[in-house]
Amino acid sequence: MMINQLLLVFVVLVGAPIVGGLLFGIDRKITARMQGRYGPPIIQPFYDFFKLLGKEHIAVSKLQFVWIYGYLVFMIASLIFLVLKSDFLLLVFLLGFAAVSLVLGGFSTKSPYAHFGANRELMQIMAYEPILLLLAIAIYAQNGSFLISEIFKHDKPLLFTLWPLFLAVLYVLTIKMRKSPFDIATSHHGHQEIVKGVTTEYSGPYFALFHLAEWYEIILLLGIIALFWTNPLWVGILIALAAFIMELFIDNIAARLTVSWMVRLSWSVGLILGIANIAYIYLTKGVS
Amino acid sequence: MGLIQKSRVKSPWILHFDNSSCNGCDIEVLACLTPLYDVERFGMVNMGNPKHADILLITGPVNRRTARVLKNLYEQVPDPKVVVCVGTCGATGGVFHNCYNVLGGVDKVIPVDVYVPGCSVRPEAIIDGVVMALQKLASMR
Amino acid sequence: MADTMMAIAILLPVVAGFLILAVRNYYARGAVVILTALILIANSVYFTLKGPFTYTPGGFNWGLLITILDYGILIFYLYIGFSLRNWLVLIFALTQIIPLAYFEFVMKAHIEVTPAFVIDNLSIVMTLVISIIGSLICIYAIRYMYDHEHHLHLEKSKQSRFLFWLVLFLGAMNGLVFANNLVWLYFFWEVTTLCCYQLISHDRTELAIKNAARALWMNATGGTAFILAIIYLYTTQGGANALSVQTIIGGGLQGSLVLLPVALLCYTGCTKAAQMPFQSWLLGAMVAPTPVSALLHSSTMVKAGVYLVVRLAPAFSGTYLSVVIALVGAFTFFGTSALAISQTTGKRVLAYSTIANLGLIIACAGINTPLSIAAAIMLIIFHAISKGLLFLCAGTIEHQIWSREIEDMEGLAVKAPLTTLITAVGILSMFLPPFGMLLGKWIALEAAYIVPLAAVFFVLASTLTIVFWTKWLGRLLQVLPKLGWPIEKLSPSYSVPLWTLLIGIFIVGIGIGPIYQNFLLAATNNVISGNQIISLGLNNLVLTTPSFLQREILGVFPVWPLYLILIVALLLPFLLIGLKPTELRPVYMCGEQAGGGAPDTDEWFAEADTVTKCQLGGYYYQSVLGEKRVCPWANAIAILLLVIMIGGVIVI
Repeated sequence: MMINQLLLVFVVLVGAPIVGGLLFGIDRKITARMQGRYGPPIIQPFYDFFKLLGKEHIAVSKLQFVWIYGYLVFMIASLIFLVLKSDFLLLVFLLGFAAVSLVLGGFSTKSPYAHFGANRELMQIMAYEPILLLLAIAIYAQNGSFLISEIFKHDKPLLFTLWPLFLAVLYVLTIKMRKSPFDIATSHHGHQEIVKGVTTEYSGPYFALFHLAEWYEIILLLGIIALFWTNPLWVGILIALAAFIMELFIDNIAARLTVSWMVRLSWSVGLILGIANIAYIYLTKGVS
Repeated sequence: MGLIQKSRVKSPWILHFDNSSCNGCDIEVLACLTPLYDVERFGMVNMGNPKHADILLITGPVNRRTARVLKNLYEQVPDPKVVVCVGTCGATGGVFHNCYNVLGGVDKVIPVDVYVPGCSVRPEAIIDGVVMALQKLASMR
Repeated sequence: MADTMMAIAILLPVVAGFLILAVRNYYARGAVVILTALILIANSVYFTLKGPFTYTPGGFNWGLLITILDYGILIFYLYIGFSLRNWLVLIFALTQIIPLAYFEFVMKAHIEVTPAFVIDNLSIVMTLVISIIGSLICIYAIRYMYDHEHHLHLEKSKQSRFLFWLVLFLGAMNGLVFANNLVWLYFFWEVTTLCCYQLISHDRTELAIKNAARALWMNATGGTAFILAIIYLYTTQGGANALSVQTIIGGGLQGSLVLLPVALLCYTGCTKAAQMPFQSWLLGAMVAPTPVSALLHSSTMVKAGVYLVVRLAPAFSGTYLSVVIALVGAFTFFGTSALAISQTTGKRVLAYSTIANLGLIIACAGINTPLSIAAAIMLIIFHAISKGLLFLCAGTIEHQIWSREIEDMEGLAVKAPLTTLITAVGILSMFLPPFGMLLGKWIALEAAYIVPLAAVFFVLASTLTIVFWTKWLGRLLQVLPKLGWPIEKLSPSYSVPLWTLLIGIFIVGIGIGPIYQNFLLAATNNVISGNQIISLGLNNLVLTTPSFLQREILGVFPVWPLYLILIVALLLPFLLIGLKPTELRPVYMCGEQAGGGAPDTDEWFAEADTVTKCQLGGYYYQSVLGEKRVCPWANAIAILLLVIMIGGVIVI
């Protein structure tokens, strides 16, 4: 039992960044094709990662190291919680710690661009965190427990009863994947509006750690989406990948929104979907 | 080639800086990023941030003010780095070389690795110059 | 033995207070405070070891003394009302003194309640909090007030008076949490209000006196409700045996409208805990010196309010009142968390956060399951430690930069690294796993679905707390690229309480499993029977459903693994990764920095090459979340909820 779990954790620790990196490479390839270009090879993120590892160590503050490691380690911890099918609410809080670490990393120097980026990233957290917490409560309302292992024991997929929250979680995915219209705090490849925002002052190996954490994050997010259909799990994974591809389409169609629009949209649409979902479950099922 | 060395060639991130150029070369640099030339297929991304860059793509002649800025940015780029001078203005001062405020080419301030001549430079020549710079980057420690 | 323990807990602070008034020497006064503190702490530990017991003092007509002192306090309020021309203070002093006089002299009430004091596990938890954290704050106040008066260049020292009220207050709080006799509880309650008034108005500035008066009349409305509840109980339940807390919570009340006095007492608790719409008195109290804010307005006095509501939880369990109380607390949690984002003064952020967490505790009492009551008690403890620490840090920061504004705290990590480190850990401990505050909030969220609207408010408020804490911590850390920050020297009167509380966060947090099983579970069972938290293996807390037949697991919180992850994530990089001077680079300012290449410059060349300082400003969103925007509708909803709370009891 313990050995199985340890083995699973090890496989995920090693395999998740590889799959995550490939997903980001596929992301760039498909985006390029949509824009009529060839695009970089699929393993480009790994080239980027190793190149960054080989750069000189420079920094602006010792605190940067603390927070980027906080971001990476708590992201890995959240993924391990998902894989070990532990408490979903606690997973959301650990993910919150990772996100806060990134923001504090942006705040760890007196840099104007990092300052804007960190404040915007904080607003992004404020936009998506309620939806994830409402999802945790909805899972409890539906299953009577916050444990992810309970989701696997039920035959009926969560998607049937929690579809409004599924739509809200797609919002969260857009914000967390930093895709337009919500790529506000630090955008990928080529956007220079606020000069990389949160990650402006990071370079070399520590910037590589940021990318590593992003790869874990995408696996974690797709894993959360896969929870909506766990019986059989491969359907859930397909849904997650479909959501991922859909995000690429949305990214290429939409222009960037302002911070206030992002918060307004997620707190109105996202919260209405989430609260309506929970209210419906409460009124039909009552409290178990 | 070691893994890291190969990755340096495959993933060159660019910082594009315009000294006091007429913007002709800058437009050609940005043209490289368009689907027609598509340098992203070589892994090149235009990062606006010196701390993330490997290659400094510099256009225009250096004057007293931009000398200070250029030095500041050059110091913020972590090693290993290469400097590519785009256009004749960057090489020697070009049409502006006798102006009262122009110090000359970029190499008056920072060491340059590759000069790409032209006024303004064709995108194919820019790509050629960057590839030459990559070969230099690959041979660095 | 019981005599000595009770005397030390309640009377020693009074005696010590008068001794402090008499001593003029700074060091001798400090010694008295420290000695009192040590005795109180030892006494509270003795309470823990002895366990629950009941006590009625004999040999002296304590009841008469209390009655006389009651009237003394109320007449003092009348005097304040007159001298300040403050009609609200006057009115609410009259609304207390007239019914009280009627009760005493017209109804000729005979109040003999045995036992007068009931010391059960919940009381022991409270007295530990009061004695340990309260004493540490008094020790902090010794040096703090000295620096405070030197900064203000006061000619005549008022430190003795300040420490007198501070120490006296500890005795009143101990009496409050032990009291079973409602009339005696009312007396201790009024003493805390009196101490609150004296301490807020200590500096005798116009603003301080005005805010102290506001605190006075708002708490006086609570006192009025208290007296009305006492009279109602005496008349409808036929005598003094109904004036016992144990009778009320033990289901000993009969007849209709038994919830009305309970609702009134919960209203009293809400005013003391500064719930919406009464939050303005706590915010106004922030003008007082920091030890006041730490002791009264975060760790202890406001905890008396939530203590009363938690204590009365069995009386309203399973009723409509329970749901409304949960909503009152949950809405306050949400509203004040939103308001905290827009505050630019550190202490006001702490004040709003305190009110928010008190709202959470009251909501847990309203949800009224073994799980939520356990969460409430854990939150009381963890919040007292963390918030007490944060207020002491705010005071320490204030005495280093002589400002309370967050914007002035920018880059504090260079000027005062030790204080910043302690403040950073304090801030992180308020809202992040694996620390105790988050553990309490996690349990509360897992228990909250019973009142789903409360759960929704918890979710929204949780999100908002992340914003203001991270923003503030970020401001502290924004330093220029520079190595070698010299560590500042702190006087022991500052550093001993700070370090003790910091270590306390970790000790209580890491040991929460055994602490719950051996101690807090008994306290929870004083309020509601049943246990929903099991500690397994390496201090893994497992939450279960309450059924005896088939326990289903609700959630799991692996305490020790999470602390391990915290150490790996933050502590190891902090200790192990070094930075050489050659690796330091300037921040990115588009290359326009002045200073000739030195990395630690924040000046840059603006237009026409003028040298300008780079100025960063925090985001406060005041147009959306400022008090002027939020308070009108939030206060309106809060008043509506209170009307529903009390009025609904009468109607339904």
